[in-house]
Amino acid sequence: MNLEKVIFGFFIVLSLTLNFGFFLGEINNPDHHNVLELFIVIVVNFIATVLKLGDRSQIGAVLLSTSLVADLELIAAATYWTVAVHVTETGMTPDVMVTIISLSGGALLANVISVVILVSETLMSRL
Amino acid sequence: MAESIDLNRVSFIVMREMRSPIIALIVVYAISILVMVSIPGPVIEGKTHNMSIFHALYFMTYTATTTGFGEIPYEFNNAQRFWAMACLYVSVITWFYAIGSIVRLFQNPFFVRALEERQFTKAVKRISGPFFIVCGFGDTGSLLARGLSDHGFPAVIIDDNEERIKTLKLRDYRVAMSGFCADASVPKHLLEAGVQHPNCKAVVAITNCEETNLKIAALARLLNPGIGIIAMSKVEVFEETLATLGGEVHVVDPFKTFAKVLGSALKHPEYTGLSQWLAKEPGATLNKFCAPPMGHWIICGYGRMGHEVNRVLTLHGIDTTVIDPHEATGSESPAQYIVGRTTAKTLVKARVDQAVGILAGTDDDGHNLGILLNARNLNPGLFSLVRQNRHENRLAFAAANIDLIMQPTMVTSRRILFLLIAPLLKPFFAYLVADEPDRQQELLAVIQRLNDKIGVRQPHLQTIFINENSSHAALKYLADGNSLRLGHLIRHPDDLTKQLPIVVLIIKSGDTLIPLPSDDYQLKSGDQLLLCGTQSAVRLLNATLNNEYTLAFVQSGQILPRGYVMQWFARRQIFTIQN
Repeated sequence: MNLEKVIFGFFIVLSLTLNFGFFLGEINNPDHHNVLELFIVIVVNFIATVLKLGDRSQIGAVLLSTSLVADLELIAAATYWTVAVHVTETGMTPDVMVTIISLSGGALLANVISVVILVSETLMSRL
Repeated sequence: MAESIDLNRVSFIVMREMRSPIIALIVVYAISILVMVSIPGPVIEGKTHNMSIFHALYFMTYTATTTGFGEIPYEFNNAQRFWAMACLYVSVITWFYAIGSIVRLFQNPFFVRALEERQFTKAVKRISGPFFIVCGFGDTGSLLARGLSDHGFPAVIIDDNEERIKTLKLRDYRVAMSGFCADASVPKHLLEAGVQHPNCKAVVAITNCEETNLKIAALARLLNPGIGIIAMSKVEVFEETLATLGGEVHVVDPFKTFAKVLGSALKHPEYTGLSQWLAKEPGATLNKFCAPPMGHWIICGYGRMGHEVNRVLTLHGIDTTVIDPHEATGSESPAQYIVGRTTAKTLVKARVDQAVGILAGTDDDGHNLGILLNARNLNPGLFSLVRQNRHENRLAFAAANIDLIMQPTMVTSRRILFLLIAPLLKPFFAYLVADEPDRQQELLAVIQRLNDKIGVRQPHLQTIFINENSSHAALKYLADGNSLRLGHLIRHPDDLTKQLPIVVLIIKSGDTLIPLPSDDYQLKSGDQLLLCGTQSAVRLLNATLNNEYTLAFVQSGQILPRGYVMQWFARRQIFTIQN
């Protein structure tokens, strides 16, 4: 058993599942998507990214890049939410919600790729 | 400088050829537009609307290309229509003239050649890894190219026969093989092939012409004093000249090479099995080897091959009889010499009933097979050694159930391939067959080890360097003050209790050679390893040498922390992350 794998696997799968939970629901219905859940997804994703910093292997580099993609899209979603509600005061209209959810959908895909890479690496090495 | 002139030549030719068509187009457009603008236009509401230059150019653009969008901006009057008609005919003809010039240029064989030369030079410049220049793409060249492709080395191929270069482009090589039809003994073409390219490791001269090979070798040495040169030669005089070129020069003589193999086979029959198996000869296994019998031999055909084989057999105290249509010449005239073609009569005269082996070594395949059948008829138990001259006859030779086939092209290409991809194989074999007391046991032990580890799978020879390019993780591991144990290095990264199916044959460390190193050998920076393993095992080993985590794991069994966070935890020893 490799403790580093356990910790990283935990965070990457947690971030995928939370992301999926936030993504689930009608795309334009603000009642189906919780702001707190988005916040936790971002935090967990950040931790997963930081855990991969410093890995000099090829797989480590790819995992870091997919993590960064997820971070970028989630931050974009959160920024858009903040701007719509607090800066322009448009409020949480359905079309704002649609943009946020599609961004989080992109992040979900990046997280899926991370998990696929993690699983295939583990299966390949059979340690 | 010569290269840049050639590179610019193509654009220069295009520009020169296109000069007059382009001038014609400019003049026709200019006159058409000027006249069109100056013709009084249609009168609308009492005002004459002459065409503007912009509209005239627009009109010309679609008229000259025969598109035709109509009359703009106003409907033309008859004067304008008259001029438009003239414009249409003249400009369309001018366009045809211009396009025709380009087409003619591209049909010019010299231009096409210049274009190919330019593409070839560019392709050579783009090669990033080590590569070889192969001059001559006959049977030997194509076998060599196939072998290089199997080992992932690109080659630049020059041949003066256009047909062969065309066939090269249709082959399915795993790496880029650029071919160019040119005379390789012209310095310019060697330069284009990249003889001065920093990644070019060796020039291989294997054309059919001895003089050309010599010339290529000499030119390559002059153009790049540090480059390796391998030249095929079957003539003594040329071999002497080649040997004095200086630097790393190998002369490959298929007959001498074969004679050496035969000599080793007489002493150590297992050795031939090993070398054929390493060369991936179809049907060769480690347990199958041929042992040429001692006794009376008949040599049919006293050419270059006959000479060499006779020399080796005589050296080993074997009694030979030579049959050849020509009178014996030269100093090495054999004791028993029968003049005449090989027929039942001459064979009987050569005591075929008492013979143990026969060499059919003429330069005619049909004749060789004929000799074999003839001799077998008279003595079915003969050990047969037959020369196969043409690769295309291989099916007939395979069906003849011959003990040892000698195919000059195969011998040459195999030897060159080994010189290029596994230069340490020569000292390794020399060690194995050396006249030392316990060498025979060692040879058998190597074969046993290869049998245990690889067995019936395809062997793959690989040379590995402990340097920045091919094993950077290993270099870093050594720089950190660790020791790199050979036995641990070839452990399986998935299961440390097992080793990969790899046998390290020889290591070159500095100037010392260590044949068959033990598992305790400590690798050093700059070491050169020759190993034999299965293709997948060699790939795994290469991955280990370039991945510091796997390397540390196979060496020490420890899983290193990868990320900064875990490294920090490990340093603080908050919790251990070992197995």
